[in-house]
Amino acid sequence: MLLLQNTRIASENSPVLLESDVLIVEGKIQDIGSSLAIPEGARVIDARGRVLMPAMFDAHVHFRAPGFENKETITTGSEAAINGGVTGVVMMPNTRPALDSATAVDTVLENATHRSRIPVYTSGCVTKNREGKELAEIEGMRGLGVKMLTDDGDTTADPAVLLRAMQYATEFGMFFASHCEVSELAGPRALNEGVMSYRLGIKGSPACAEEIIIDRDIRLARAAGAHVHIQHVSSKLGMETIRWWKSRGDVKVTAEVTPHHLLFIDEHIGDYDTNYKMNPPLRTQADCDALLEGLIEGVFDLIATDHAPHTPFEKAQDFISAPNGITGLDTALVSLHHFFVEPGKFGWDLVVKRYSAEPRRLMGLPVAAIEVGQEANCVLFDTAAETTFTREFMKSKSQNTPFIDQTLKGRVDLVILGTEILLERE
Amino acid sequence: MARKDLLDIASLHREEIEFLLDQSTSFKKLFTRSVKKIPALEGKSVLMLFYEASTRTHSSFEVAAKRLSAEVTNFNIDHSSITKGESVRETIETLQAMRTDYIVVRHGHSGLPGMIARQTTASVINAGDGAHAHPTQALLDAFTIKEKFPDPRGKRVLIIGDILHSRVARSTSTLLQKLGVEVAYLGPGSLVPKYGPATIPRFTDYEAAMAWAPDVVYLLRVQLERQDVQFFPSVREYHRVYGITNTRLAEISDRGLYIMHPGPVNRGVELCDAVMDYERSLITNQVENGISVRMAVLDWLTPGGEFPRQEAYATPQRASSTVIMP
Ligand SMILES: [Zn+2]
Repeated sequence: MLLLQNTRIASENSPVLLESDVLIVEGKIQDIGSSLAIPEGARVIDARGRVLMPAMFDAHVHFRAPGFENKETITTGSEAAINGGVTGVVMMPNTRPALDSATAVDTVLENATHRSRIPVYTSGCVTKNREGKELAEIEGMRGLGVKMLTDDGDTTADPAVLLRAMQYATEFGMFFASHCEVSELAGPRALNEGVMSYRLGIKGSPACAEEIIIDRDIRLARAAGAHVHIQHVSSKLGMETIRWWKSRGDVKVTAEVTPHHLLFIDEHIGDYDTNYKMNPPLRTQADCDALLEGLIEGVFDLIATDHAPHTPFEKAQDFISAPNGITGLDTALVSLHHFFVEPGKFGWDLVVKRYSAEPRRLMGLPVAAIEVGQEANCVLFDTAAETTFTREFMKSKSQNTPFIDQTLKGRVDLVILGTEILLERE
Repeated sequence: MARKDLLDIASLHREEIEFLLDQSTSFKKLFTRSVKKIPALEGKSVLMLFYEASTRTHSSFEVAAKRLSAEVTNFNIDHSSITKGESVRETIETLQAMRTDYIVVRHGHSGLPGMIARQTTASVINAGDGAHAHPTQALLDAFTIKEKFPDPRGKRVLIIGDILHSRVARSTSTLLQKLGVEVAYLGPGSLVPKYGPATIPRFTDYEAAMAWAPDVVYLLRVQLERQDVQFFPSVREYHRVYGITNTRLAEISDRGLYIMHPGPVNRGVELCDAVMDYERSLITNQVENGISVRMAVLDWLTPGGEFPRQEAYATPQRASSTVIMP
């Protein structure tokens, strides 16, 4: 039994925080109200001023297992999630071997149940070994609960292959997540083509490389009657393309945006800082502004981190040799608070909707909410406290993030999932 | 004013540039003496780390170092093997252990000399990194121009060719602008990026560029080997549209323009054979001046300093045993 006194409850439906006590009994929210009586044996936490919100759900993470356990494991990845107030994740299948069969998925999920304190879901590949040629054994993966199909990290280059996959898998109630990039245009270096790529002397990737595939994949989904989810959008015109298709209403399309594409631009790369090397690349301030606009408007259904760990050794190379990606789970919620909620750019309702409710809806999971009768799946967040993202603080095995050693406002104090207190910070 | 490294032109102050050009003048005077060697860097070691083959730049640095009495070592690199950042990192550790004083580095990856500079106590001189920078080339270009125009302010230099892939274009134009020289680019639309510096006019038409009235025409080497895709239809067409043909040379001669090229020249591509005998061609002057400029740079830099300057990769990974399990 746990009684949280005088907390402020966040919900996706209201920008106003409801000040209240919350009583949790046997993993369920039993009562909400002011000045609730303290039941015998209950632990009481004075949560005055702190925000209680449904726990986050991240629909785009790389836990690197199997094959790259030196970067991350299911254990370290899920601990990073908990550290950031996230109690459920969907892994990407670009592992080695790639998750392109029931056998591979089964092994990973079996592992996940033993090695993680939160539910870990996985997506499956569209094509065998992510090569873009032959369809993966899609139905077999569905039998293990896979709903999302993606060759993330690469675009399924051949539109005929993707169209066939869409026609086939839609019959099983599965949907497609698209990493959008014409590889011939993008090149390997993950830097926006523009003033910065010119100054640094690195071949840039133009935004049109992304925009072409966003449009292509939505058109393919429309033709196949499929649901397509556009991953980690980075450009203004990409956002506008999705907005336009959504306004037509004749194709099921959802989309996500990452905290880092909302926060950083190519100029932050400065003197070849590899912590800002990611794919799709950071673009310009105009793109950044458009993404925020798209998030507030609902063009982006969800926020996902694309948590992409790499070892310090790999990232300490020169910019061209270093791999793409940054970690995001430890830092996402606090950074959203610090840069957006605190300055009043959007409210907690948007955070809850986009980073908790919608991702769970996308995956067909019950939505967490602070309501009587619901399972306790929540985060207590201190808006006045600060978090310093030291190496010790991070639970991810890798620490390739621009936030390293930064102090931001806000702190995840408590993470509760059912009967378990997964994290309690003091 | 002392610096440890010379990595690019953008970070150099105007006073530093003036100082280096003045010093180059002094060093060049030594060339007329019978004993060309001075003991400025006696007991110091210079290590040549060339991941891209380059006879010209390599030997220029080597001669410069030897004239300053430094000991020169070549670090052998197998040019056929892939030299990615990871293998470079191992090399850096070796170099640091050797406590060399100077490292002259050329690599195809932009920003790599900077990475070496942060991880060694040696003075690192960038001898060309990817399409990023080639600071000593820029200095020798400026020096060569100043020999003809002691006050180069307001003079105009037209840089022709593959701007997109050229570290020479970036560094030389940045340096010339710092000296008050006006710069313009001319080249195929696929090789002159629209997002280059706004202060540099961009031409795709030769006649229009000549109407801009340059004092110097600077031809870049067409890096045919560097182009992973086709940027122009053929070498013949390139020569006709952007090259100095016999007809164009006559006009250049009439107008008294100087011609420069960083070498080595692709004859019949950037320019016709006759340019080599053109009296206002400064191409051999550039080569000669390279030595005194590089002497000035070596003499100016100060090896030493804290190490390691970037500890990123030295941080040990957290042991997985510290992770709390249920
Ligand atoms: Zn991706």
